[in-house]
Amino acid sequence: MLKITNLHATVGGKEILKGLSLEIPAGEVHAIMGPNGSGKSTLSYVVAGRAGYEVTAGEITLNGRDVLAMAPEERAAAGLFLAFQYPVEIPGVQMTTFLKTALNSIRRQRGEAELDALDFLKLMKAKQKALGVTDEMIKRPVNVGFSGGEKKRNEVLQMAILEPSFAILDETDSGLDIDALKVVSEGVNALRGPGRSFLVITHYQRLLDYIVPDVVHVMANGRIVKSGGPDLARELEAKGYAEFTGEAA
Amino acid sequence: MSNVAAIKKTPEKSAFFPETAERVLAGWAAFMAARPKDPEWLAQLRAQGADYLKTRDLPGAKLEGWKYTNLPPLVKQFGDTLGQTLVTFDPVPGVLVQPLTAAQDMDWVREMLSRPAPVQDANADPALWHLCNLYYRDGIAIDVPAGTEAQNALNIAMACDEDLLYIVHTAIRLQPNSRLTIIEDHRGKGAFWKNALSHIRVEEGAHLVHIRIQEDSDKAVYTQTTEVEVMKGGTYEAVALYTGAKMSRNQVHVRLMEPGAACHINGVSLMRGEQHADTTILAEHLAPHCESNQNMRTILGDRAHGVFQGKIHVHRPAQKTDGYQLSKALLLSEGAEMDTKPELEIYADDVKCSHGATTGRLDEEPMFYMQSRGIPADEARALLIEAFAAEVLDLVKDDVVRENLADRVREWLK
Ligand SMILES: Nc1ncnc2c1ncn2[C@@H]1O[C@H](COP(=O)(O)OP(=O)(O)O)[C@@H](O)[C@H]1O
Ligand SMILES: [Mg+2]
Repeated sequence: MLKITNLHATVGGKEILKGLSLEIPAGEVHAIMGPNGSGKSTLSYVVAGRAGYEVTAGEITLNGRDVLAMAPEERAAAGLFLAFQYPVEIPGVQMTTFLKTALNSIRRQRGEAELDALDFLKLMKAKQKALGVTDEMIKRPVNVGFSGGEKKRNEVLQMAILEPSFAILDETDSGLDIDALKVVSEGVNALRGPGRSFLVITHYQRLLDYIVPDVVHVMANGRIVKSGGPDLARELEAKGYAEFTGEAA
Repeated sequence: MSNVAAIKKTPEKSAFFPETAERVLAGWAAFMAARPKDPEWLAQLRAQGADYLKTRDLPGAKLEGWKYTNLPPLVKQFGDTLGQTLVTFDPVPGVLVQPLTAAQDMDWVREMLSRPAPVQDANADPALWHLCNLYYRDGIAIDVPAGTEAQNALNIAMACDEDLLYIVHTAIRLQPNSRLTIIEDHRGKGAFWKNALSHIRVEEGAHLVHIRIQEDSDKAVYTQTTEVEVMKGGTYEAVALYTGAKMSRNQVHVRLMEPGAACHINGVSLMRGEQHADTTILAEHLAPHCESNQNMRTILGDRAHGVFQGKIHVHRPAQKTDGYQLSKALLLSEGAEMDTKPELEIYADDVKCSHGATTGRLDEEPMFYMQSRGIPADEARALLIEAFAAEVLDLVKDDVVRENLADRVREWLK
């Protein structure tokens, strides 16, 4: 599925990713944990193709295709999705317009027929319900006036509608109370299946009780420094990241 | 003087503005020869125009109010022949619409057409006004009787199709407690110069919605002067959607005459190539408890140039004035340019006035967010531009009219 090899990337002239390698096979859920500033969001932006995040070495492939050669929208059409740590507000662009345009753009790029307004609304309604996103929310402009938790639920709603084959969730749990966390986790778990993989970035082991990962990675200073099973997350929760950052505990 | 041809003495040229606009007078004698005899008041109006244009040039960059828009070089070839503007409309029950020359003997029309031209000062220039009067002929009069609430919008089309000078007058009166929506459609072809003068009077408790969709050819020059008077409790609400013309100057002067009068002067200009769009607004508060709003969005691609000059002038008696002004420009390319000059002139002490002007580019974050969801960059950009224009177009309450305007924006974005 997704393979990252020796990735180096700079932001504003500063090297943030320093030779990161990671392989996530189809159907697996991997988690990345790591201290603030270790480059987790940078990794997610580089995979999604954000301008200003310059790859100086290494490669990323999705099912063998060169991800770095694609524009961000082509990556989405190829099946990539990023649930943003800080979802962006777009005043004046209504949620439904935004999502319908997104879904149809992806379908068009894949050579599939576009959905008409009615079919789209049906799909939206069905997905909305499971995630507790109200009609009132989808009538508003994208993320405008949404609470932190609503924004995160909205990210998962978009994921449920666009049905990516590989999704990165960047701290989707932060800002969520326990009920919202359960709803969001169920949304993610419902999408789990043999053809789909996830990379879950989080600070807290708590999320991994609900979305149980196959592999946990520790990221520090722009690299994966340790990988293990779900137990590693509990270990980190207890001991912190001191042994990876060189700071005293 | 009873006949314009009787003017003999050419007034003095100005030492400060030695250039004159005599070029636009070239075809005047021939024009007048084909006209029936004017009534006395009209002959005088024309004569004043001729006097002025023999001594002063068309407004150019030397004038403070025209420093961003240099008209004379763009119109120097015009003046030999006057084109015939074809003004057409769909009748609306209860609304009286006539060719102006047929209506000109009515008191209200005569009074409106005879309004004194603005005096030349830093911001105002009467040359375009006088030019309109000089060649007065084409145009319409619209009168809405007291209490009439027109259900349908009045659609007016103004057509120009040759490379000539066109002059159009409009006289609009809304009598007390009447309502009307006017939609002006400008879709001229060719490299013409259209110079228009609109006189509007919104009487007590009346409400005029005045939409202008300007899609003239991008070789044309369009100068528009709109002079509005709003009486007690009346409302003048204008939306100008401009995508056409090589150069346009839309000058609106609203005078809020009596308590409770309000105006909303809104506009969206979408320009590309070498287009130039200038919006110059003066809202004058002459009475207490009046409200004025100016809301402009300018979208500029390629090497297009936008200008917004907006002023709120609050006279001494106009206590409790509520004045608002906001111009926002969106630059889509390196070569695009926006000039803004917001001004407040306030002589009353108990007023609420705010003004602001911003010029910016599309935010990178929403662009990336949309692209990351599969929306191609072009489409993402179009959605953001449409949203930017909608900040003003959404102020239109009528759903059909608002959707029509939004469609024009989407059409431009294709
Ligand atoms: N636009 C930027 N310009 C310069 N440095 C940046 C920029 N964005 C992030 N960084 C730096 O990159 C490092 C990694 O940030 P980030 O990827 O957000 O970490 P994490 O998500 O792991 O907390 C930090 O030191 C941060 O200050
Ligand atoms: Mg982060």
